[in-house]
Amino acid sequence: MLPDKSDAQKIQKTKSFKSMKNLIHLYRRKPAKQKILLTMRLTLFLLVISVFSAFSNTYAQKTKLDINVQNSTVKDVLNEIETQSEFFFMYNNKQVDVERIVNLDAKSTTVDVVLEKLFAGTNVNFKVVNRQILLFPNNLINLAEQQGKKVSGKVTDQSGVAIPGAAVVVKGTTTGVSTDNDGSFSLVIPTDTKALVISFVGMKSQEVVIAGKTTFNVVLEEETIGLEEVVAIGYGTVKKSDLTGSVTSVKSNEIKAFASSNVMQSLSGRAPGVQVSQNTGAPGGSVSVRIRGTNSIQGSNEPLYVIDGFPFTGSNPTVLSNSDIESVEILKDASATAIYGSRGANGVVLITTKRGKAGKTTVDFESSYGVQTLRKKLNMMNAKEYATFYNEQAANDKLAPYFTQDQINGFGNGYDWQNMVFVAAPISNTTLSINGGNEKTKFSVSGTLFDQQGIIKGSNYKKYSLRAYFSTDINEMLSFEYGATLTKNTTSRQNSSGGNRGQSLIGGAISAPPTLTPYNDDGSFRVLATAYPFISNVIINPLNFINEQKDDGESNIVLANASLIFEPIKDLKLKIYGGVENTDNRSDYYQTTNFVNSQGSASASSSNNVSLLNENTLSYNKSINDKHSFGAVIGFTYQDFLYRYLGGSGNGFLSNVTEDFDLGGASTPGIPSSSYSKSVLMSYLGRINYSFNNRYLFTASVRADGSSKYSEGSKWGYFPSGAFAWKIKEEGFMKNVELISDLKFRSSYGYTGSQAINAYATLNQLSSNKTIFGDALYNAIAPGTTLPGDLRWETTEQADMGFDIAILKNRFRLSADAYLKNTRDLLNSVKLPSSLGFTQTIQNVGQIRNKGLELALDAKILTGEFKWDMNANIAFNRSKVIKLYGGQDILTGSINVTFISDNSSLLREGLPMGVFYGFKKDGYDSTGKEIYKDLSSANGKPDGIINQFDKTIIGDPNPDFIYGLNSTMSYKNLELTLFFQGSQGNDIVNVSGVGNTLDYGFGLNMTKDVYNDHWTPTNTNAKYPVLTRSSSMRYSDRLVEDGSFLRLRNIQLMYTLPTQKLGMKWFRNLQIYASGQNLLTWTKYSWWDPEVNSQGGANSTAQGIDHYSYPTAKSVTLGIKVGF
Amino acid sequence: MKKILYVILASFILFSCKDALVESPKSLAVETFYNTPAEVEAAIAAIYSPLRDGGCMGGLYPTQIECYTDYGYGRGSHAMLSNFQGLDGTNQTKTDGFWGYFYLSIRNANIVIGNTPKGTKLTPADTCKYIAEAKFLRAFAYFTLVRNWGGVPIRTEKNMTVQNIKRNAAEEVYQLIYSDLQFAEANLPDNAPLAGKPSKWSAKTLLADVYFSQGKNAEARDKAKEVILSNKYSLVPVTTADDYSKIFGPEVITTTEEIFYLKFSRLGNYLGFSYLMYLNHPGTKYYGGGGYYTIYSTTDNSVIAGWDKKDLRYSLWYSYNIGLGANTILTKKFVDPLAPNAGGGGNDFPLYRYGDVLLMYAEADCRASGVPSADALEKLNMVHRRAYGKNPILPDTSVDFRLSDYNKDSFNDLVLKERGFETQFEGKRWLDLKRTGKVKAIILAATGKVVADKHLLWPIPVSELNYNSAIDPTKDQNPGY
Repeated sequence: MLPDKSDAQKIQKTKSFKSMKNLIHLYRRKPAKQKILLTMRLTLFLLVISVFSAFSNTYAQKTKLDINVQNSTVKDVLNEIETQSEFFFMYNNKQVDVERIVNLDAKSTTVDVVLEKLFAGTNVNFKVVNRQILLFPNNLINLAEQQGKKVSGKVTDQSGVAIPGAAVVVKGTTTGVSTDNDGSFSLVIPTDTKALVISFVGMKSQEVVIAGKTTFNVVLEEETIGLEEVVAIGYGTVKKSDLTGSVTSVKSNEIKAFASSNVMQSLSGRAPGVQVSQNTGAPGGSVSVRIRGTNSIQGSNEPLYVIDGFPFTGSNPTVLSNSDIESVEILKDASATAIYGSRGANGVVLITTKRGKAGKTTVDFESSYGVQTLRKKLNMMNAKEYATFYNEQAANDKLAPYFTQDQINGFGNGYDWQNMVFVAAPISNTTLSINGGNEKTKFSVSGTLFDQQGIIKGSNYKKYSLRAYFSTDINEMLSFEYGATLTKNTTSRQNSSGGNRGQSLIGGAISAPPTLTPYNDDGSFRVLATAYPFISNVIINPLNFINEQKDDGESNIVLANASLIFEPIKDLKLKIYGGVENTDNRSDYYQTTNFVNSQGSASASSSNNVSLLNENTLSYNKSINDKHSFGAVIGFTYQDFLYRYLGGSGNGFLSNVTEDFDLGGASTPGIPSSSYSKSVLMSYLGRINYSFNNRYLFTASVRADGSSKYSEGSKWGYFPSGAFAWKIKEEGFMKNVELISDLKFRSSYGYTGSQAINAYATLNQLSSNKTIFGDALYNAIAPGTTLPGDLRWETTEQADMGFDIAILKNRFRLSADAYLKNTRDLLNSVKLPSSLGFTQTIQNVGQIRNKGLELALDAKILTGEFKWDMNANIAFNRSKVIKLYGGQDILTGSINVTFISDNSSLLREGLPMGVFYGFKKDGYDSTGKEIYKDLSSANGKPDGIINQFDKTIIGDPNPDFIYGLNSTMSYKNLELTLFFQGSQGNDIVNVSGVGNTLDYGFGLNMTKDVYNDHWTPTNTNAKYPVLTRSSSMRYSDRLVEDGSFLRLRNIQLMYTLPTQKLGMKWFRNLQIYASGQNLLTWTKYSWWDPEVNSQGGANSTAQGIDHYSYPTAKSVTLGIKVGF
Repeated sequence: MKKILYVILASFILFSCKDALVESPKSLAVETFYNTPAEVEAAIAAIYSPLRDGGCMGGLYPTQIECYTDYGYGRGSHAMLSNFQGLDGTNQTKTDGFWGYFYLSIRNANIVIGNTPKGTKLTPADTCKYIAEAKFLRAFAYFTLVRNWGGVPIRTEKNMTVQNIKRNAAEEVYQLIYSDLQFAEANLPDNAPLAGKPSKWSAKTLLADVYFSQGKNAEARDKAKEVILSNKYSLVPVTTADDYSKIFGPEVITTTEEIFYLKFSRLGNYLGFSYLMYLNHPGTKYYGGGGYYTIYSTTDNSVIAGWDKKDLRYSLWYSYNIGLGANTILTKKFVDPLAPNAGGGGNDFPLYRYGDVLLMYAEADCRASGVPSADALEKLNMVHRRAYGKNPILPDTSVDFRLSDYNKDSFNDLVLKERGFETQFEGKRWLDLKRTGKVKAIILAATGKVVADKHLLWPIPVSELNYNSAIDPTKDQNPGY
C-alpha cells in the first residue's frame, strides 16, 4: 500500500473492514465522496453520524433521484445513486446479489422509493443512516423473530455516544441484527445462546455473556493500535503490519515524558539503534544522533529530519516543541531510507505533527515546572590542602614555599568556586493546543513556551512556538492542507568551555584556587592570573564571563508547507507540495571593559538560511480479488538551499552602554564579513509495493538525486533498494499455532548516499583576507588550504534482516534486526605534506563498515486493574574502517591543553571508528615522573626512545551496546513510569582531568584524589605522579576512563483525577504528576557526567571527549495536564 | 484524463532544467584571476599573510627564537626552550606551525610566479615587477627555513602540486635563494611603493644577509655597501630611551631606517602584532591586550649585568616582579597601551633596518679583509652613538670605539656584542650566534647552559614526514628527533 501520508486513517479503516468481512462486507465506492468520511477518525465518524442523524432523514427525504436503467446490474444502480447523491452503500456481496439484472425507471423520487423498487421481491432490506445506506438480507431480522428469548440493549462508544449500524450477532452463527439510529437493538435468540458478539468497524469486537440477562449496555472500545497502527514512511504511509523495512515508531506520550528543548533528547533510549549523545549540558545545547553507527568521515553523520514531509536542513529539529509532535518514525534500513537517496545514509527521522479531528473542539493545556541542579559536584582540594599541595610542589622544585605555615594554618575550607558558578535553575514548559473541525475542514493549533535557565549562572534558553495545521476538502476531487510552525529561540550562553589552565568559564570554575575569593576588598573582580606568582597566566575569574560577557543568540524559524491533493479517479492521487524553511539567526556578543584585559569587544552577526521545496508525487493503489495489492508512487522534487551571512565587530569602547549595538563607535571597528552559498538538489523518485495474499510483501524503490555540489559528470547519483517480507502467521500451517499470535520475517537491501561536502567544494575558489602595508588595509587573495578535487557521491550499501514475533495474543512482542552497512567511495580528507601549502584535499577513497543487532521487546506483563507494561530495547553496533587512502591513518580529535597537545583519536584500517590513540603509561621513574611503554620504533622494534612510534590504541569510544528500559505501572488512577537508559563499554578521554589532576605547575586547583595519592619517595605506587612543575606528560591511557553508565533518566508518578466523579464535568481529563530526571546514575566515570561529547558535531569522528563541557543537570519537575 | 496527464507532465518537466545544477558561487575562481595589476597585487599580498600570522612571525616565531638568547629566558610552556635541549611536544607543535606558514607563503608566491606571465592585462614590466616581489618573499621564506631546519624540500612554481618531493640539501636551497634574490634585485623598484613592500635595496640587504650567513663576507660587504651608499636610509636620532618609540612604537608608520618590515596595525581584528602579547605583563598596562610575559630576564644575567647602564637601550628593560624574584626584568621595546585586544598591537616587526646593514657591513668588511677598517668602525660607531643619544653621523669621542683598541677577532666580537644589544627582541640573536659558530660558548658563558646539538635545528614536522613519502622519517630527520 502506498498512499500518501495524510491517508493514515484511510488505511486503518480499510484494514478494519477486512477484519470484519465475515460479518458485513462493506464495499466502498465512489472515492471522492467517500473521502469525506474516510479521512475521519472512526470514533469521530460515529460522533458525526449521531450529531447529524437529525439531518440524515431530511437528506434522504430531500434528495431526489432520477434513475432510468435497462438491463443493468444492481451494482450499476447503486453506482448511479452514489453519483447523483452523497449516499454510499455498505453491504456484504455474499448476502446481497448485486449482479442481478434489473430495469428501473424512477423520476425525481427519494432514495427510499428507489431502493424499495430495486429490491422488491428480494430478501434484501435497507437502512439509511445519514448518507450511509446499509443493505442486508431480511433473514437477519427474520431470524430474530424466531422462537427464543428476547434480548435488547444499547451499543455506545467509550464516550457514551450511540453507535448505529453495529452488528449484534449470536455467537457461532450469522444470526443477528444491526443497531438502529440510537444504537439500540433487540432480537430474539435461541434459548441455548451463550453469548452475543457485538462489532463495528474500527472498534474492538466484544463478546457479552448472556448468563440469564436480557438487557445489555455494551461499550465498544476503539480498536487499539498495534498491528493495525499506521506508520509514516517516506512519501507515504503503511500499516505497521505491512512494513518491509526497519522502522521504529515513537509516539507522542513518550516524546513528552519530560521537558526538553530538543525532540531527539527525548528519543534517547527509546528506539533501538539510535544513539543520542548530548554534546553539552547547556540549555538548548545540541545533541549528536547516530543511527546504526557512524558512516562518514567528511560528511554529516546526523540523520535527515523530515518534518511533515519537509526535509529539514538543520542538524537538530529544534523548530518544533515536543508537544506539537504526534509521532516520530525512525527509518533505519535501506528499504526505508533509499527513497531519500543521497540524504538517507545516516537514517531518516520522520516527524509528524498533530492534526485536527472532526467533532467537538478540544482544548488541552499542559504545564510543568522543574528545578535543575548540578548532578554531581567534583571533590576538589580545600584552601588548606591547596596551599600544602603547592608548597610540596615548590619544595620538589627547590623553590621557596609559596605559603607560610601561618598562612596555611589560617586557611580553612576556603572558597568554593563550584558553588558560585553552579546554581539551582528553573525549567518550565507550557503548552496550549486546540484541535477540532468538521467533516470537511479540520484544524490543530498549538502554542508553547519553554523556558530553561541553565545551572551556570546567566545561561538560559527560551523557545516560543506557534503551530497551526489546517486541512480542507475543496470538492470531491481536490483537497488542500497547510501547516506552519513559527518558532523563536533565544539563548544566553555561558558556554565558555574547554580551554587551557582555567582559561574558560567552566575550566576556571574548578581550577580557581580555593584560597582566593572572587572579589577584591574594594569589590572589584580579583584578577586570578596575577594573584600568585606561580599561577597560570591565562586563568580567568569565572565572574568575568558571568557578569561581563554577553553571548546571546536568537533564531526565528518559519517552517511552512502547503499541499494540493488531486484525486481525479479512484486510487490515483496527485500531490503537489510546496514548502519553505526560513531561519533568521542573530547573535550578539559583547565583552565589557570590566572583563580582565578588555577594552570592550563586540560582535554582531546575522545569517539567513532559506530552503525552498517543491515535490510532485503521483500515487496509485489497487487491490485485485483480495489477493493482489499494488501500490506505486513516482515523484519529482526540487529543493534549494541558500545561506547568507553578515557580521561585524569592533574593539575598544568608551562605554559599555552601547554593547554591540554601536559597532561604529569602536576605537577599532572590525572588518565586516559576509558570505553566500547556494546549492540545489533535484530528484526523481519511485517506489512499487506489491503484496500477494497478504502474506508476501515486496517493495522496490529508487531515487535519482542530482546535486549541484558535485563535479560535472558526477552530479547524479542513483539509489535503489528492494525488500521482501513474509507474514508467516498468515500461512495456513500457522493458523493453529495458538501461542504465536504474529510472526513476520523481513529482509531488505539497498543503497543510500551522503552529499558529505559543502557547496563549491569541487571548485578552485579564492578567499579574501586582509594584510597591512603602511598602516592601511590591503586585500590579500589566495586559495584556501584544501586542494579541490573531482568528487562523486559517497554511497552506503545496507542489508537488513529481521523478524517480528508476538506470543500469547500479542502480550509479548519481539522485534529483531540484524544489519550490515558498507559505506563506499567514502569522502575522505587526504592529508598533504605541509610543504605543499595545501594541507589537505578531499577524495573518494575509503570504506567503512557497520554491522549490528537490534532487539526491541514489548511486554504487557500484567493486565487488569493493576497494569504493568514494559518495553526494552538494546542495540549492538560494531564499526570498522575497511579502507583509507593509501592505508593512511587519519588522526582526528584534538587534545590541546598546552600541557598535553596531541590528537585524541584515530581512524585506521581494521579498527573501529575513532579509537583513542596514545601512549601507555608504565609507572614512574625514580623521581616520580610518569614514564611510558617503549613499544616500537621506525623499524618496528622498541628502541629505548619514546616517540610517536610508541603510540597505540588505548581506548574505544564506541559502546558495546546501548539500551533503554521503560516501565509503566498503573493502578486505578495512579501511574508510575520509570525510564532507564544506558550505554556499556564506551571509553571517554577525560581532557578536563589533565588540568585538574596532572598539570601541577600553574596553581590550578586539583581533585582531592591527587592530594591524597600522589608520588612521594615513600608512596611510589601512587595514582598520580610527583608534584613538580617540570614534568612533561603525554597523552596516555591515564586519561582514558570507562564511560559506561546506567541512568534513571525519568521517573514519574501521575495521578488522574476522577473528574466525572468529582462532578467537574467540564474537564475531559485532569492529571497531575511529579517527576525526576537523571536522579540516579551508575557510572565509574570520575568527572561531572559520562554523557559528554565535547567535540561532538554533525561530522565529528572524534567522539567521547570531555573537555570542560557544560555539565549535565538533574531535575525535579511538577506538572499538570488538563483537557476540556 | 488528458488534462491531468498534462498537469503531471508539466510539473515534472518544469524543473528538469540542467542549468539548475550548475554552481555559481559569488566568489573568485583561480582560473579567471591574476589578469589585472590589482588582481596580482592582491595575490602578492597573500604571500605576506602567512608570514604576518600570529602563529608565525607575528607572534610565536619571534617569541620562540628570542627564548634562545644569552640575555633572556622563556617562561611557562616556553621555559624549556631556554634549557637549549631541543623541543618538547608542545614546542614542536609550534615549530611545525611555522613550517606550515612559511610554506603557505611559498605556495602563494609560487602561484604568483606561475600565473602572472599568463595575465591578460599586464605589461611585461608589470609582470617582471610582480614576479620580483614574489621571488623576494619566496627567498625570504626559504632563507628562514634553511637557517632553522637546514635543508628543506624545494617547492617552486614548477612542482607546487607534486605531493612527494625529497628534502633538498641546504646548499640547493641557497642556490634558489640567490637566484630569486638576483632576479628581485634586478627587477624591484628603486623605491618601495608602500611601506612594508620591498625595493631593490631590500633585495640587496637580504642578499647581503644571505651571503653573510654563508660566510661569503666580501659579497656581503659589497651588497651592504651598495645599500649604505644609496643614501636612501639613515638612523633615526634619539635622545632618551622613550625616543625609541619613534622607531618601534605603535604609531610609527615608517622611518628612514626601515628597509623591510612586516607591517601591523590596530585596525581590524588580529591584523596587529600579537608578539607584544608574549612580551608584556597585564599588570603594567603597556599592552592593551594584557600579556603572557613569556620572556623575561634578570639583573644578574651576565649580558644584562655587564651592560653599560648609560646605553639608552638598556633602559628599554624595566624591573617588574612576575613572581620569580625581585631581580626580574621585562622589556618595553615593543609596547602598545592602546592595542584593542591580544592581537591588536600597532607596532611593526623590523626584519631589516639600517642599523642591521651598518653592523653587517662592519663585520663583513672586517672578516673579508682580515682587519678592521676605519670605515667599518665608523659604521659600528654610528649605531653605538645613537644608542647613547648622540647624533649618529657625528663622531663623538665620549662614546666612540677606537680602531686602535681592536684587532680582527676582538672587533668581530665587539660587533657581535653590539648587534646583541641593538637587535634584542628582533629575532636575530640566535641566528647570529649560530652563524658565527659561537653559540655554545656564548650561551654557556652567559647562562651556564650547555647547548645540545639537537637544539641547533628544528625537527622536520610530522605532518611532512607522514604525508611526503619521498622523505624518510628516520634518515632525513634532523639529528636528535
